[in-house]
Amino acid sequence: MVINLKPVDVAVVGLGAAGGVAVLPLARAGLKVAGIEAGTWMDPAKDFKPDEIHNNVRGLVTTVPKAKKEIPTFRTSPDAKARQAATHPMMNAVGGTSIHYHAQSWRLKPWDFKSRSETIKRYGANQLPKGSTLEDWPVSYEELEPFYDTVEHEVGVSGKAGNILGTLDPAGNVYEGPRQREYPMPPLRTCDFLDHMHKAALSLGWKPFHAPSAINSQPYRGRAACAYHGYCDRGGCHVRAKNSTCFTTIPEAQKTKNLTVFDKAHVTRIVADGNGKVSGVLYIRDGQEYFQPAKVVLVSSYTYENTRLLLLSKSKAYPNGLSNNHGQVGKHYFGHWDAQAGVGVSALFPMDINTWYGAMLSQGVTVDEWADDTFDHSGLGFIGGASLCAFMEKHPIAAASMATFGRAPGWGSKWKQFVHENAGRFTGAYLQTNSFPYENTYLDLDPEVKDPLGDPVCRVTSGPKENETRAATYAQNKMEEWFRAAGAIEVVKGQPFGPALSTHTYGGTRMGDNPETNVVDRWGFSHEAPNLGMLGGSVFGTSGARNPTLTMQALAWRTAEHLAKNWKAIAGA
Amino acid sequence: MPGEISRRAVIASAALVPVAALTAAAQTPPTSALTDAQLRLLAAIVDRIIPKDELGPSASECDVPVYINRSLGDYLAGEKPAFGEGLEATDALARRAHNAAFADLTPGQQDALLTSMDNGSAEGFANARAFFNRVRRLTLEGMFGDPYYGGNKNFAGWDLIKYPGPRLATTAAEQKMGVDIQPYRHSAYGSAGEHGH
Repeated sequence: MVINLKPVDVAVVGLGAAGGVAVLPLARAGLKVAGIEAGTWMDPAKDFKPDEIHNNVRGLVTTVPKAKKEIPTFRTSPDAKARQAATHPMMNAVGGTSIHYHAQSWRLKPWDFKSRSETIKRYGANQLPKGSTLEDWPVSYEELEPFYDTVEHEVGVSGKAGNILGTLDPAGNVYEGPRQREYPMPPLRTCDFLDHMHKAALSLGWKPFHAPSAINSQPYRGRAACAYHGYCDRGGCHVRAKNSTCFTTIPEAQKTKNLTVFDKAHVTRIVADGNGKVSGVLYIRDGQEYFQPAKVVLVSSYTYENTRLLLLSKSKAYPNGLSNNHGQVGKHYFGHWDAQAGVGVSALFPMDINTWYGAMLSQGVTVDEWADDTFDHSGLGFIGGASLCAFMEKHPIAAASMATFGRAPGWGSKWKQFVHENAGRFTGAYLQTNSFPYENTYLDLDPEVKDPLGDPVCRVTSGPKENETRAATYAQNKMEEWFRAAGAIEVVKGQPFGPALSTHTYGGTRMGDNPETNVVDRWGFSHEAPNLGMLGGSVFGTSGARNPTLTMQALAWRTAEHLAKNWKAIAGA
Repeated sequence: MPGEISRRAVIASAALVPVAALTAAAQTPPTSALTDAQLRLLAAIVDRIIPKDELGPSASECDVPVYINRSLGDYLAGEKPAFGEGLEATDALARRAHNAAFADLTPGQQDALLTSMDNGSAEGFANARAFFNRVRRLTLEGMFGDPYYGGNKNFAGWDLIKYPGPRLATTAAEQKMGVDIQPYRHSAYGSAGEHGH
């Protein structure tokens, strides 16, 4: 028997980085919000430890293993059979993966929103990636700027502005789009190795800077500053200095009494009526099925699950899955060719660089010369590039697993001598490549592999494309140049491969004005089901060369604010 | 030879460690995932990956087999059958080559067999490379992970790579290059979580 719950105004499916932000403007506007989350609350004092086996090796920073029981399958071409990945990169908890992410909080560049038209204008249509379904976003950087600004302050982002209303400051990123004011906090602390890399970049004529992050560099709104203890990657922050939504916007929304958090609630379907409007969501909690009626549903799970949930939610009005009467759900999928995809660059220095502690990329130094359309691509045969980041934080098992650069065998006494001397002299670099959607890159339901409820898991069809591989290789060479300028005696470059599941995946419910090629409109609402909104990376049309979270959050805030301002039109009340 | 005797003594003591550790921890399952014979073989393998030498103790002296045995009993329980098959195949390889158990071979003979597994040339052992890589990976986890999980005895793994140890906060001085940072030798779980848990 399904238990029917008291109707609410808005049901938000997933209280992670995006949904966890959207609830705040909704609750402040006086709407009654049900935040439906598969996981539950985490306790920093109990749950977050400086423990590499717990955090990184076993991936146990989560509350329920929902994502880990519905791991997508993947394959490189539509003819191949897909195999299931070993693990899922995301976690389940109130706050979602904003608990164990690196907290990099970038704005995308103005170019990212209009890569297609800008490429045609500067280089001609032949320079567009072959087979790409790239479109300009229906939103410009300028339209999104006020929402970036709001989220930077509500969540708490540290950084240094490089462009305030057109006035450039080389202490920040001079290649960023114009912003209305400075960040609410200065960047995280610098240190010897970062200063060393900074100088090396300057010696090449580049413009290095400290990247923005949702980590407090000083006490902010009652939360502590970063302790730089070195277990930020895949770990929650024990002092709440990382501004995960469970410590920021979700509790803030709860203060209004308009947000109710339904935890441990596994959403299985979104229900639509015969007229094509959504009427609420079905979820399972402790084996009991519930129906939560809602006037509006916002879906903010992860990219894979956003698509899967729509495809699973079939009805009379949507026989091929919710909001899929144009066949666009799952299309225009792509992933960043960085995380878990091997385009990193490793370096060995002749001295101890002491990068053990810190806060991953957030305590890092970044170069943006070779990303986006910052440099002239004439004759290069690709568009985009990658941001380059040297960073702090290294864990002992990962350090002992370092490359031996051909200088020692992989085990035995000679290896032991090698890691004894070099574990402290080794580091990696993080490259994020501008990535684009293609005709043959998409998500759908796997025909064989199912989750424990019997529902098919998501299937990823993707793979390395010429444009992104060229861009990544070009950027890797620049990274090598940077490491060499800093005195590295060995540099190795990973080979681009794919697909791999990633924390940076995009598309599946792309945003655009044309309903023939996009699932949601410029506000994030379905072209087909008017009271269904989609939040997260699944609405992106390009990736940018940087982490997606702040853009997801700015868009989520914008969608929520649009809903509150146009409540009657959208909810049909 | 003396080195061989002490190596065998180490293996024998390693095989006893899980029992002691399991007695000390009521919440740990009382049964060992691996048999004594499997543990003896495992100790012989991991001690070629990380041998005892002038830089410090061997993997089994640091209780790496304890880590692996305990992992196969809980978090990696699903992997136990395949792991057992890999151990069996390693011993079979030794018997084919030298008519003796792997653990009874000389270090040189053991290294030659492990090298053939590592480079995929071990005859009649299809998954040799994958199994060797898995053992190597688990050896690194047991040697360099938090002692809470049974390995890294006396923090010897962290001493080996000069990891200064997990701490809850780090000062600017502790992020300088070319300085000797005072090592902090505690488990993330405090003294109760240190070796012997």
